[in-house]
Amino acid sequence: MNAEMLYALRDPAGIPSHPLVFLLLAVLTFALHVAAVQVMLGAGALVLRGAFSAQPHWRRLAATMLNTAKIAVSVAIVIGVAPLLFVQVLYDPFWYTSNVLSARWVIGFIVILIAGYMAMYGYYWRNPNLATQPAKSSWMMMLSLALLLLVGWIMHVLSYQMLWPEQWQQWYAPQGRIDASGSGLHAYSVARFGFFVALSAPVTGAWLVAVRRYLQGAGAGDAAYLAFLARLARGLMLPGGVLALVVGALWLLTLPEKMAFFATSPWMLAALVLLLVAVALPTLLGKHLERGLWGYAVFGVGAVALIAVAAAREVLRYTLLSGVHGYDALDYTINMDWYSTLTFFITFGVLGGVTLGYLLTVAWQAGQHRGGDASLGGASAVYTPSAAVTRLGRWSVGLLVVWIVHYFAVGFYTMVR
Amino acid sequence: MNLIGLYPTWFEPGISSGWVVGIIATVHVLFSHTSVGAAIFFAGLAVYADRNNKPEYLDFIRRYGMFLLVFSYVLGSITGPGIWYSTTVASPRGISALIHSFVWKWATEWVFFVIEVVGVYMLVYLAGKIDRKTHLRIAIIFALTSYTTMLVIIGILSFMMWPGQERWFAEGGYLNAFYGGNTFAQLGMRTAFMFTMTAVVGGIVAARFDDPVFKKAVTTRLSWLGIVSTAAGAAMLQWYLNTLPETAQVVMANRLPDRFAPTLLAVLASICAYFAVTMWKPRLLTPAVATVATVVLLVFGLWPEEVARESMRKPYVAGQYVYSNQIIARDVPGMGITSEIPRIEAHGLLKTQVFTPPGLREITPANQKQVGEFLALSTCSNCHSLSATGMRPLARYFGGNTDVAEISQYLQAALSTGATIYMPRIPLRDDEAQALATYIASLAPPKLTAGAPVPGARIATANAAPAAEGTAR
Repeated sequence: MNAEMLYALRDPAGIPSHPLVFLLLAVLTFALHVAAVQVMLGAGALVLRGAFSAQPHWRRLAATMLNTAKIAVSVAIVIGVAPLLFVQVLYDPFWYTSNVLSARWVIGFIVILIAGYMAMYGYYWRNPNLATQPAKSSWMMMLSLALLLLVGWIMHVLSYQMLWPEQWQQWYAPQGRIDASGSGLHAYSVARFGFFVALSAPVTGAWLVAVRRYLQGAGAGDAAYLAFLARLARGLMLPGGVLALVVGALWLLTLPEKMAFFATSPWMLAALVLLLVAVALPTLLGKHLERGLWGYAVFGVGAVALIAVAAAREVLRYTLLSGVHGYDALDYTINMDWYSTLTFFITFGVLGGVTLGYLLTVAWQAGQHRGGDASLGGASAVYTPSAAVTRLGRWSVGLLVVWIVHYFAVGFYTMVR
Repeated sequence: MNLIGLYPTWFEPGISSGWVVGIIATVHVLFSHTSVGAAIFFAGLAVYADRNNKPEYLDFIRRYGMFLLVFSYVLGSITGPGIWYSTTVASPRGISALIHSFVWKWATEWVFFVIEVVGVYMLVYLAGKIDRKTHLRIAIIFALTSYTTMLVIIGILSFMMWPGQERWFAEGGYLNAFYGGNTFAQLGMRTAFMFTMTAVVGGIVAARFDDPVFKKAVTTRLSWLGIVSTAAGAAMLQWYLNTLPETAQVVMANRLPDRFAPTLLAVLASICAYFAVTMWKPRLLTPAVATVATVVLLVFGLWPEEVARESMRKPYVAGQYVYSNQIIARDVPGMGITSEIPRIEAHGLLKTQVFTPPGLREITPANQKQVGEFLALSTCSNCHSLSATGMRPLARYFGGNTDVAEISQYLQAALSTGATIYMPRIPLRDDEAQALATYIASLAPPKLTAGAPVPGARIATANAAPAAEGTAR
């Protein structure tokens, strides 16, 4: 598959902004998506660990993590839409070919994901009081985790097959006979997949550090439970983090020849250093974790490290495809469209910022409100936001109305022009 | 560059790839429309409960909210990207055309999705933990956000049928692609039917209420919502049909079976009757009845509608320039797009395709059938199953004819010239037509291949093909 063939597959409609914009958004949103995936996997594993334990702290954690896992799946799916969109924009020849060649698995992805998510909900419905009562139907949670890992594997293969255009023809027509069944998974890297899965341990550890700080702020956790969380989080972050780095190193050491440059790429090395800083941070911070925002800073630094990993992953793809295969994703034809470009950035920055800011502030403060959660031993007084937060809410509604009015106004203008 | 950008082909022999897309799309329409409708219905109920001090309505929201979370956001949020996935493998250049024109619109919709998901979790999990006014405000944000997702997707769906403005072909531009008469008509129709689906699915929750007075109150509201929205939807459907381009009208008149219109009317009347009965006798509304009604709506209401929409835009799959077989068939100077047809005419399909296996680039007596199969896969199988089952099986259109010359003649007459209105123009070279005909002849059932022509077997001609198309559906 030479460069001329790859360019022939590129969509002739071009793209409505500079490709670098899409590339950066792809990296950023992939990092957010993979963070949610890792929290989902880590929380799911903790649910199982807790469900099989008689220790009250583990049981309590299992109940909390079950809710976390459920929401993390939703968040992972929704955020995952963005990198899925941007990969199609920039790497359409690679993404579409890879998908078609494994089409049956692509369709299976949908079915398996639904089954995995439903199994998690099934487990939740079977165990409404996981903290206090023996776990029932734990096979559902095991099945859910297994299926979620399987969809992760499918996604890994689809992304990895993109990097092997020289093999596509052979996969499509082995020995010259066309196989249009899409039943094969043709290329994979266990070490690469293992690295992203292993990162679940430190990411979940960082998440637990933040959860602990949150409970502390809400006055909702007793000292023994908070100490339990601190121990567990440290264990997940440092040994778990080092294990993830070892798997990452294994990936770099086993890179195929055409990707060997990546093993010494400053991008990947910087990402690994950042990961190391993130996993060591709780130990370095010590008592500071108890104060101010330091408890949340660990997850923040971890997120930055994940963005660096996502950037390094993109460097591998871009450099390989442009250097070895002659396809430069950044020379995509631009059919600049200012209206839709600005609509996105204004919606994202202004409407999204204000509305999500309002919703998350309410959610946060309602949780921190003493007595806001009766299940944690507080009174049943409801939370009422401050006037400033309420104003933010009114702005959110107003901005949404303005957006809808603008939609019809622009439509009318376009129709009569 | 003499190459055209066709991808490999995925062929699903059981039900064919087109129906896989159709099934996922239909299921997604149920989930997504229900969730948007329920979000708006929630907000209305929350306002009503707040103004009239009826906290029991908030209980309905809590119960329905949890159901909605699973029903719509678990399944809707997966089947939504699922449509991308299925079209990616079944129609990669079709989805690519949409992605590259509307990437920012989809990204904008993504912002609303994120708000929506945060909103629905807050509505359910913070109910009773935050003050009523704040809960109401979140319900309103959730409703408005949900509706914006429909506003965004409608323009993209309309573009699949026809670019909003004719000048898009010359000038390009997102606005010209997105906004047209069909956009708003479709918005009105989908908005109305979205409430119908909400009322049907909402019955599954309302059916579980023990308090007969409350159950009657909720059921009555759902029933009125269902009746009014169904009637409004029927009116909007007429508006929608009037905005369709002429080619779609012709295809509808020729392609859709005669039973389509009466069936649609019967479905709409049945929905109204269902709501009238549940309003009159709420005790008849049980979870089983409501569930059956949902499935009936899915199978007899949404599936035919989606199939009809898919058929009407033929031979194109997106923007009236990407054929259903993925070939770009029209110049779009405004976007710098050039038709691939001249390249195919000049060099043939085998030489211009990226994924033609090396051994099939030259036709020989030994590989003729194999070449034919490759051509059928890449140019026919998006709409015609190559097996005996699935979407419009190719073999049925040739009535068991095994005369390669006759089939080849038909292919050259009807397809190479673009003489069949809903079929793509497929410029086959003589040897390619011969190869494709050889393969098509091999699809005839064995008993038909052995001897003389079978009574009733029809030689396909340019004029006869549309009739066959109609009967095969």
